[in-house]
Amino acid sequence: MATAADRSSLRKSGGVQLRVLGALLIREMLTRYGRHNIGFLWLFVEPMLFTLGVTALWTATKSVHGSDLPIVAFALTGYSSVLLWRNMPGRCIGALWANLALMYHRNIKVLDIYVARLLLEFGGATISFTILSIALISVGWLAPPEDFLKVAAGWLLIAWFGAALAIALGALSHESELVDKLWHPASYIIFPLSGSAFMVDALPPFAQQIVLYVPMVHGVELVREGYFGSAARAHYDLGYLIPVTLILSFVALLLVRRVAQRVVPE
Amino acid sequence: MIEVRDLRKFYRTRFGEKLVLDKVSFDLRKGERLGVLGRNGAGKSTMIRLVSGAERPTSGTIERQMSVSWPLAFGGAFQPMLTGVDNIRFISRIYEQDFESNLAFVEEFAELGPYLREPVRTYSSGMRARLAFAISMIIEFDCFLIDEIGAVGDARFHDRCNYELFEKRADRAMIIISHDAGYIRDHCNRWAVLHEGRLELHDAFEDAYTVYKEVIGASLGTAKPVVSHVNRAMMIESSQRAALADDRFRIHVQQGDWARDSRDWASAEREYAAALALYPYQRSYWTQHGHVTKEQGEFGRAEISYRTAAALGVPEDEVADFIQFVAARQDEGDAAPAVRGFRPGLAGSQPPGKPDVETFAQLLWPDADVDERCQLDLLRSFATCDALAATMIADPRFAAAYSALHRNGQPDSGASLHPDVIERIRCFFTADLGRADQSDADAELKTTDQILERLVARETLAEWPLTAQALQAWAAKDFRPAVLHSDSKDRFPA
Repeated sequence: MATAADRSSLRKSGGVQLRVLGALLIREMLTRYGRHNIGFLWLFVEPMLFTLGVTALWTATKSVHGSDLPIVAFALTGYSSVLLWRNMPGRCIGALWANLALMYHRNIKVLDIYVARLLLEFGGATISFTILSIALISVGWLAPPEDFLKVAAGWLLIAWFGAALAIALGALSHESELVDKLWHPASYIIFPLSGSAFMVDALPPFAQQIVLYVPMVHGVELVREGYFGSAARAHYDLGYLIPVTLILSFVALLLVRRVAQRVVPE
Repeated sequence: MIEVRDLRKFYRTRFGEKLVLDKVSFDLRKGERLGVLGRNGAGKSTMIRLVSGAERPTSGTIERQMSVSWPLAFGGAFQPMLTGVDNIRFISRIYEQDFESNLAFVEEFAELGPYLREPVRTYSSGMRARLAFAISMIIEFDCFLIDEIGAVGDARFHDRCNYELFEKRADRAMIIISHDAGYIRDHCNRWAVLHEGRLELHDAFEDAYTVYKEVIGASLGTAKPVVSHVNRAMMIESSQRAALADDRFRIHVQQGDWARDSRDWASAEREYAAALALYPYQRSYWTQHGHVTKEQGEFGRAEISYRTAAALGVPEDEVADFIQFVAARQDEGDAAPAVRGFRPGLAGSQPPGKPDVETFAQLLWPDADVDERCQLDLLRSFATCDALAATMIADPRFAAAYSALHRNGQPDSGASLHPDVIERIRCFFTADLGRADQSDADAELKTTDQILERLVARETLAEWPLTAQALQAWAAKDFRPAVLHSDSKDRFPA
């Protein structure tokens, strides 16, 4: 049973937590984007440029994606998801080394540093995805999503998976620089397997089975089903994605705990 | 109150686990200021980080019933890309403080002017220190952790820091670590010594300091000072920093400073002399030694020290007036010769100081009594080490020592010198004798005779032309190499 005192101290702790995260977010934004030219607008302009570039490229090369979905829509949903799960670990790897001095402030925990960066990354990718969707819908290159909630659910699941992966890799990277070295090639190799550049339905059954072991594929398929409805003929299994992500999150938190035990401020 | 119980901390290193803190326990109440003495690397900073909560102990507990600061005056809390103002805003947010009043305080205290709105990476280290200290003063902690605050900033800034900490916040608890034992003595009311992971608490500074000295003595003992012996100029240069990094040297000069401040000139001189015996080429404490010797009316000895300080690189103007003063008080008819400041270049062309005179006296005049009067005469008379050595060789005191020895025909004769003196001599004649640490073949160079034979055999000496001439002149007249006598019968009496 929680007493009133417990509740008020919990509320107080929650307040501290929010304050710390807020301060870290602003600090991250200022450090990353500064106050020059468009400043923190880069937060989503950068992923937008990425997505637009890839969309243009895929359109120009008439990329084979194995479905009759419009290529613009295909690229937007596919590449935006890539940004989500690929950039999150990229931002968290080595994040603690860069912020070691912050460990002198008792209220700032190791996890806060990762969470602040993840929120920023998630915000940037989401705003970029939203703005591009609205822009493309309003010029008529894209039909509005058939089921908005499914899009949101798929998007959040990818983000959750990306965040768990990012925290795990971030924590590991504090103890071994191999993580940083290996993540770059790994992310490039996973990219074509992640479901962004193909529809699972277009693959031969044997390949489908293998590709569905990659967790991100389920999320991307869900986003596409939300966007295009039955036309997408999506294959996904939340009964696989959610347990995998849960386990990964658990492992990630264990790793953070271990790093927090050992971290030595500079 | 802060209750620290059975704190242990291991660090994992490549060579296994290292125990840094072992069962450290103490209480700290409001108004108590605990000063911690300990060697470099004894774990003082680790202890402070554990108490601050920035790092976690391997085992043990820390109960904090007051708010505890982060370790003060460390420069690293800043994001270098951000401006000073942004950093203040960040800290204000983290600790839920009013940004505007904090900004006003830092502007007033740190005196950074427009730089406060520039990225911290453009700051000098002094500016960073001012910002760091000002920011740490904007949050009113109950307990302040102070790690080497004396290491930064100018004197005025120092005074203002001390005012903020010890006057305005006299009621707070503090843990202070510093290399400056005087700082700890003056600002703390409890003391502790941290050694080999153990923390020993004392209520009187003298007790803690006595233990600290024993600990330093026991662990450093007669460890050799780490001074480069590549050549004489390098030796002087490296002595400056090596001395200040050596806790034994620091303890002696610290006690010398305290004795000087209480006008106990004789004790001060003793302590400075002990420090300089460890590092004879540490220039700045020769000046101090001169001052306290002058105060005792020992003007001749003071002049030796001042001249040595100048010869080792203290700017000439800093000691010229003192030399004038002490020279005028020794009943000398004529004015004292000019001060000779350090000149880089060949070892032989550098001006001699007292340690050089002593070294040459051991090598060249082993039987003579070189008293202060004599040392001063030599220092006044010779502008270069080369001229000094050459004149000493031409002097009858040299011939008296060596011709007698060699006529006895004992090749292993000659005074054996202390290894440090041999190392110094080899450092003077690097090009001719080789460095002690580089040529194993020369390891047997142990006595005055062996060294002289080697120098005579070289015929010319790279950096010592006058000395070489003097040696050759003597050899032609008086010297027969000892090897000629090695089969002498009376070496092996039946």
